[in-house]
Amino acid sequence: MVLCLRVVNRVLVLLLAMSSLALAGCASAVQAGTNTALDDVDLVRMTDDMALKIMASPAVQQAYARDGPLSVVVQPVQNMMTAEILPRGPAEAFSARVRVLLSKHAPDRFVWIMNRDSFNLLRVGELDVDLGPAPGAIQPRYALVPEFRSLTSENRDQRSIAYLCTYQLSNLVDRTILWTGSYEVKKVAVKGFLD
Amino acid sequence: MKRGSIQLRLVLPLVAAMLLLLGGCGPNEHERAAQAAVWDFNNGNFPAAIAKLHSLAQETNGDFVLNNLRLGSVALAAGDLDEAEAAFLRAYEVLNSVGVNNGGRSLGAVVVAEDMKVWKGEPFERAMANHYLGLTYYMRGDYANARACYENALFKLRDYADDQGNKRDAREVDSDFALASLMLGKCWVHLGRSDLAQANFDRAVSLRPDLAPIARLASEGKNNVLLVVDFGYGPQKVQTGDGSLAGFRPTAAQVGSIPSPTVVVDGRPVGLQGTDLPPMDLLAVAQQQRWQSIDTIRTIKNVVGYGLMGAGAYEGLRQHNDPLLGLALFGAGMLVRGSATADLRFWDTLPRTTFVLPLQLPPGRHTISVEFPAVGLTQTWRGLVAPEQGEATYYFRMLRWSTGPFDSPTSPLPAVKP
Repeated sequence: MVLCLRVVNRVLVLLLAMSSLALAGCASAVQAGTNTALDDVDLVRMTDDMALKIMASPAVQQAYARDGPLSVVVQPVQNMMTAEILPRGPAEAFSARVRVLLSKHAPDRFVWIMNRDSFNLLRVGELDVDLGPAPGAIQPRYALVPEFRSLTSENRDQRSIAYLCTYQLSNLVDRTILWTGSYEVKKVAVKGFLD
Repeated sequence: MKRGSIQLRLVLPLVAAMLLLLGGCGPNEHERAAQAAVWDFNNGNFPAAIAKLHSLAQETNGDFVLNNLRLGSVALAAGDLDEAEAAFLRAYEVLNSVGVNNGGRSLGAVVVAEDMKVWKGEPFERAMANHYLGLTYYMRGDYANARACYENALFKLRDYADDQGNKRDAREVDSDFALASLMLGKCWVHLGRSDLAQANFDRAVSLRPDLAPIARLASEGKNNVLLVVDFGYGPQKVQTGDGSLAGFRPTAAQVGSIPSPTVVVDGRPVGLQGTDLPPMDLLAVAQQQRWQSIDTIRTIKNVVGYGLMGAGAYEGLRQHNDPLLGLALFGAGMLVRGSATADLRFWDTLPRTTFVLPLQLPPGRHTISVEFPAVGLTQTWRGLVAPEQGEATYYFRMLRWSTGPFDSPTSPLPAVKP
């Protein structure tokens, strides 16, 4: 009987301890958890890498030596990923940071031209501000176009995505590609008990 | 013996308190507010529903995903695409994350109550979340992101179909979500990939041959208006058996077949050319939910709980009994049994089905009504633009008390009704 009492006692204490732990240990819905999306670490790594490669490119340096500062229009990321969403804000961040880095580290080599959509959006929102000449009056010679692709697979155990993110600096006049660079990363999220 | 009894006397009140805690778990303030918002939604009072859900959707508790999906549904019905996109995106991010319930929440869901976990829904609810986020992007002309959403929607069902380990099940589950294949095909049309578009239309038709007219019109891309019409009420999660198992009701057979819509533009009926068929029936899809491993745990807890209660009752009734031990066993049994209750949360603003109706209208503004004469439902929107080029997409949520006429979705929402 004493043994029974001890066993029951232990079971009850254990249940109470586990319940208290469970009640106390609840993280918020957005605190815990990981996913396979590109994140801020990728943003910094990728854009640092791309900016560095563009500045170091012999073709870009030759074009600058030949024609002077390169007039470049920057496009938001083209989402060609299998099953990953890239909303407009992050899509612009991945190209804007490259522009910012190049503006900072090589201000004399590039002239940045706002893309037509952004310009028109700004015109609509800021009618009282003189935005200067119409988009057609300034023609960029180059376009920096990021394209993100992915291979996605998902099953009971995990979701994995292999990303290939390419940046191209294309000559809009003769349609040649002056420079291209890529960033590759694979992300795996292993599913748990309640996933 | 004496030491054990003293410890037991200390533990028993705590057990009783836990039992009271479990027994007294009615809807809390947030759940009542959410239920009121759903009631507003069902009565067509979208601004009031949005006002209630907006604050609930910011709370990062176990209902975070559910409340954001509710908010997205209501905002979409009200034509507020910014709010809808933001809400569906917040839900999407958690739905696509793993380990959200790691640690305390998993332990709590197993030991205390299943609804302590962050709700992520059944596979069909996850697929519908992707569908609505995709639809929001589609309506905004962001076809690349819409395409990604529909790919993801198919993943969500294929994933669980593959678990069964045979292709026949995978096909059956996919076929219930032919809607995603259709919309994925339409996204590819807009992205200029007619080959991939046709592949998706072909897949939809191979699974549901009666969808051939919609697929044909969609692949031709001649329509300049697309109506996406949600009809009926989705499945509700209910307790089955002794409460330890959950199921979805009603079944499609209990409710009957889905009626066909008619469309009236500027007072004249428009021929739908065989596109008035529902691409899916969520009441049928919901009956396929058989994937939750926690079902097994609930069943075991139920059996163990009844066993302990039986042992306690036996101890109390037998000669030379120990009443304290009997009470402890019975209490422990009730505690275990009480925590075996199924999580009954479900996405309560889902429709039964979604119609996809492509229309070719003269460019300009139109008054468009969608009617379901068989059940006496109608809804009218004024000032909907049929563009000269491209395609404009409009969403109709058919509800009994939401007949309109409403003005173009770009108009600001009316003030909140008291």
